[in-house]
Amino acid sequence: MRRVAIVSQAGSKYSKDSGKSIFDLACEPCAKILNNENLDKTHLGAVLFSSCTTEQYSSTILSELLGIRPQMSQRIDNLCNSGTNAIVSGYSLIASGLCDTALVVGAEKAHSEGNKLRWDVTRGSFMLPVHWAALFAKAHMRKYGTSEEEMAMVSVKNRGNASTNPNALFRNPVTLDEVMTSRKIADPLKLLDCSAPCDGASAVLLASEEKAKKLTDNPVWIRGIGQYTSSASFANATVDLCSVEAAKVAAQGAYKMSKTKPSQIDVAEVHDAFTILEILAYEDLGFAKKGMGGKFVQQNNVAINARGGIIGRGHPVGATGVAQVVEIADQLAGSAGKAQVKGCETGLVHNLAAAGSSATVIVMGTS
Amino acid sequence: MKQDFHTMLRQGKFMMPTCVSCGEIAWPPSANCPRCLSATQLKKSVTTGTLLEFTRSHVTGKEGVFGLVKMGDIRIVGSFDNRPLAEGMKVKMTGCGLLDDGTAYYRFVPASTRR
Repeated sequence: MRRVAIVSQAGSKYSKDSGKSIFDLACEPCAKILNNENLDKTHLGAVLFSSCTTEQYSSTILSELLGIRPQMSQRIDNLCNSGTNAIVSGYSLIASGLCDTALVVGAEKAHSEGNKLRWDVTRGSFMLPVHWAALFAKAHMRKYGTSEEEMAMVSVKNRGNASTNPNALFRNPVTLDEVMTSRKIADPLKLLDCSAPCDGASAVLLASEEKAKKLTDNPVWIRGIGQYTSSASFANATVDLCSVEAAKVAAQGAYKMSKTKPSQIDVAEVHDAFTILEILAYEDLGFAKKGMGGKFVQQNNVAINARGGIIGRGHPVGATGVAQVVEIADQLAGSAGKAQVKGCETGLVHNLAAAGSSATVIVMGTS
Repeated sequence: MKQDFHTMLRQGKFMMPTCVSCGEIAWPPSANCPRCLSATQLKKSVTTGTLLEFTRSHVTGKEGVFGLVKMGDIRIVGSFDNRPLAEGMKVKMTGCGLLDDGTAYYRFVPASTRR
């Protein structure tokens, strides 16, 4: 297999309602990426569009709007896990030799009908993501003594980090008291334990090693990928509500492929759609011992969600996985601005969908 | 088969698609067995189970207690009234159906106070 690099990455300012169409949103970060004098954008290998939009033929429309005539144009839709699925597809096309470049674009409108999973009758009338997340939280509290304050501290940390991110939906920090007294949504989760849907887009340009050297002096390498799908339904997603089985399997795959240990990760973007999910991620990724996730929130060994995570940055469903990759690529390329983690060499992205029924873990590095 | 499951559910009957070949229950409901891919047909389901976890929703229009129940070989999220609950408690389904918007619901109550 050929090595695959991220040669450039960009995001747009996330907002509750941008007033823009899904395609105008999607073009925004692409304009920054395609403005490279060494890139012949009319002949890109692939355009991969990650979105849950109900617009048909969307990757092909996006290609035309960007003036690209790609060999391959595909739309990838896997709910909140769409973005990293698109990255994996782009990686595969390049690693296999089918393409030399792939533009991976994620974009979403906050209230797209495509963002909602209606199929899962195992959830009964409690269909919302916050309902399964609350059951995960209750289980972790009961079994391991994790507290509401520990969960709230995830929000305090990530909202604080988002204050340095110019693209974040929420740039105002919150206090522990504000999280704890925010409106109850599903016990023990409160409003500020939850991420918010929003409009937003992010994009990365992937390239083969040979092509990458012509396009940038500062490539970031995709070193390992793990994915796993345990189900589509909440009922069959995981036997133990105190962990996300798909994430554990995906992490093992990514660590093995990249020959990396959890202790070698310097920076990570983990899927904090709800505070409890970040605590579960600490354990599922091997950063913390099982049951100790709540105590791990205030550690300093690894920089987690350094630019706000999903809670701070916002959650445009199909764009989220791409945005996570953009954040880690920025960190490893040294272009993360005020949130830059000094000297980081290895990063990780952890992206989930639908009650943790599917997961992607990607390990990236400077070499 | 999913249509049939929903047809029965609309009538307040909880019937499980069950494989005609190997007996596996298809859950979520499907016309095909997820194990051997043979056809399924609806059969009466057990309606008692064990409450694995529960909590309370405050979402407007979705208020109330809900929990994950292991019922035979399947797991399902049901709604509960305000009677005291505990994890590990035996519970029984007392009703099911479809709401006006087509969303399924399953109502449970404690089957006993013993754990």
